[in-house]
Amino acid sequence: MSTSTAVSTSTPLPVLSVRGLSVRFRMRGEKYVRAVSDAHFDLAAGECLALVGESGCGKSVLASALLGLLPGNAETSGSALLGDLDLMTADEQTLARTVRGRRIGLVPQSPAAHLTPVRTVRSQLEETVRELTGVPKPRSRKAAEAAAARAAFPADHLDRHPHELSGGLAQRAATALALIGDAPLLLADEPTTGLDRDLVERTVDELKRHTGEFRALLMITHDLAAAERIADRIAVMYAGRIVEHTDARAFFGAPGPRHPYARGLLDALPEREFTPIPGMPPELGDLPTGCAFAPRCDRATAACDVLPRLDAGVACHHALEAQRA
Amino acid sequence: MAELTWKSTGDRRRSTRAWRVRGSAVTVAVIVLAVLLVPPLVQLDEQAVDLAAKLRQPSLAHPFGTDDVGRDLLLRCVYGLRVSLLVGVVAAVVATVIGTAVGAAAAASGGWFDRVVMRVVDLFSSVPHLLLGIFIVAMFSPGVWPVVVSVGLTHWLSTARIVRSEVLSLRSRPYVDAAISGGASRLRVAVRHLLPGVLPQAGLAAVLMVPHAIWHESALSFLGLGLPTHQASLGTLVQSSRGPLLAGDWWPTLFPGLCMVIATLAIAGLAGAWRERLNPRRRSELML
Amino acid sequence: MLELDAVTAGYDQRAPVLRDITLSVAPGESVGLLGPSGCGKSTLARVAALLHRPDGGRVVIDGERAGGWRHRAPRAQRTAFGVVFQQPRLSADPRLRLADLVAEPLRANGRSGEVTDTVRELTERVGLGPELLGRRPHEVSDGQLQRACLARALVLRPRWLVCDEMTAMLDASTTAALVAVVEEYRRESGAGLLAVGHDRVLLERWCDRTVHWSELAA
Repeated sequence: MSTSTAVSTSTPLPVLSVRGLSVRFRMRGEKYVRAVSDAHFDLAAGECLALVGESGCGKSVLASALLGLLPGNAETSGSALLGDLDLMTADEQTLARTVRGRRIGLVPQSPAAHLTPVRTVRSQLEETVRELTGVPKPRSRKAAEAAAARAAFPADHLDRHPHELSGGLAQRAATALALIGDAPLLLADEPTTGLDRDLVERTVDELKRHTGEFRALLMITHDLAAAERIADRIAVMYAGRIVEHTDARAFFGAPGPRHPYARGLLDALPEREFTPIPGMPPELGDLPTGCAFAPRCDRATAACDVLPRLDAGVACHHALEAQRA
Repeated sequence: MAELTWKSTGDRRRSTRAWRVRGSAVTVAVIVLAVLLVPPLVQLDEQAVDLAAKLRQPSLAHPFGTDDVGRDLLLRCVYGLRVSLLVGVVAAVVATVIGTAVGAAAAASGGWFDRVVMRVVDLFSSVPHLLLGIFIVAMFSPGVWPVVVSVGLTHWLSTARIVRSEVLSLRSRPYVDAAISGGASRLRVAVRHLLPGVLPQAGLAAVLMVPHAIWHESALSFLGLGLPTHQASLGTLVQSSRGPLLAGDWWPTLFPGLCMVIATLAIAGLAGAWRERLNPRRRSELML
Repeated sequence: MLELDAVTAGYDQRAPVLRDITLSVAPGESVGLLGPSGCGKSTLARVAALLHRPDGGRVVIDGERAGGWRHRAPRAQRTAFGVVFQQPRLSADPRLRLADLVAEPLRANGRSGEVTDTVRELTERVGLGPELLGRRPHEVSDGQLQRACLARALVLRPRWLVCDEMTAMLDASTTAALVAVVEEYRRESGAGLLAVGHDRVLLERWCDRTVHWSELAA
């Protein structure tokens, strides 16, 4: 186990390269809510990165920033290079015409809400096929059936409406839609919320399969079991910051997490200690200048008044050192 | 940490919205002040006929021009707006009160009562409400109140539907379940959880109905069934301008028409802003 | 004893969601009910908490047959249950501040005098700081709101708790924290628990015994 797993730039060109990405929201009275602070990561083809953290830690904001779907009061800083395009400076037209669906496929949080309720799965697939690939109407039927088959969506359910589908099939329909544009980056935002365990496993396995050799998968989730199942690397987010970024096997396996927050998160799982981390995360509108986790941390000292930098995959002055020696 | 340079997203959209709201608010304020203050302060007779100055083009003395018997059109428009707004507001309130009561009663009692009431609503909705309105005014002699009654009685149907579906949707929320489990009585659930949820919707429907009612008043008056022609309202003004318009005199039609359009847009603009405030969305704006 | 006896329920008499389900929870016992989504387990939880009238069967609470459902249930029977639902956003009246949300059942029972002390004690127990109590639901996170909803469920000190997918939307740490609060309350009050969910690992860790829906529906 090396400690340099976090910076896996071994592969030639990353599909996505996020550099110093920050997002803040301007609120009333010149106040700011800092939802994402200084995020760095690369994502190569064939790789799956799971961004984990509790609700409100800023991980969904990060996803929306990548898709250019931030609300009007948001301000961003830093860059996110998708190939040679900086998603942070691209205008809405570029994002709408060349990025969403074509270069980033979005697997949504609640597929039932993502699909148009009044139209059949077939008509939605066909429309997306025509829109994204320019296949003319007569041939779009075949192409839509092929797209459905790719996501293992049963052909005899194509003429159903979204509300007539089970949760698993709705998820597959949404995945089929996300795959049509053949985008090099798949972005899955909480793809397993509210699904049964079997379905969670099937959904993430399918995502992994679609990632294959040539795509990259960024999965945003609070479900650690889902992340453990398919992720190559794990980035743990706390109060808007990536506090640990490491190899997934090392994280869930033998050495374990090195950031006290990440360790606490794992220990809270019912299959482990089932003990909560005391306290609650800080308000993103009122972050301390030092380490945001210090007030809840049993290892905190005076040193934690200074913001720890992400160094060798962990942002902590007192990272668990056991496996480094 | 080094100072970051921040880029905004979607700033333009936000500020145009803010300006639209401000513009609407100022316009509504000007209109309301004008119709409230001008008549008592100016002490001019809007009916004053000046045959020597009939059908004058807009000028400094008569910014909106004069009509075919020499009455000042600016003053007529202010009086017309006054009457039209009064009719619009009262009719909207009448319609909203009836609609809310019917919709809430139907949703609360359910069963056959609900079904019968909603079929009646459907039945009335299937008749064009201008036709129904004409039928009602035709039973009275021309005047303000028949028009108010006519517009009020024909416009509660949509409010009743909105309120009913809103009550039904609120009633099936888990927080109502939680209240019941917490021992809340029917009355407490209605007063504490359902009513506060429905009233803003009903209020919004009422505001949106004001311009609608104004147009209905105008339509009835234009058809000669609403207000008597000597009483200035936006509808009667447009109606009596038909003759001059055919002769090529455009201003007696244009200015009352513009008043109607501007008042409508301003009220609708304010209502739109209110609708956005109705649902607390700050959280979703943060997407946390 | 909470007994569900041959319960048939649904939203359309011709097509019941669940048929002939029998399940009982002993006093102080915690039962986890496992099942895939859409199987009807949430409907059963609502029947058990007297919030949904079944088409057939009966519910017996501590030896006393349920007298009715929803508002028709006697207040003493209704308030014997504390319920927590899956989605905190839908379970909280968007207009109430968190403090009022928690205090609401006390006020509904004419016990306004106890509000200050009880709310302070309970919110502390679920881990909500005083700075959050003045906020409305849209100003807090899912996890914080669910903590408030759990406090509301405990405020009348119910003999039975019904948790319907209480933690499905929450992260691991908040899940563990809320389960700990429930268990602490049960230890000191002896309340019984019916926890409905789809996470086998969680329910097996949490409850005395777990039942799979397929065993009940057989």
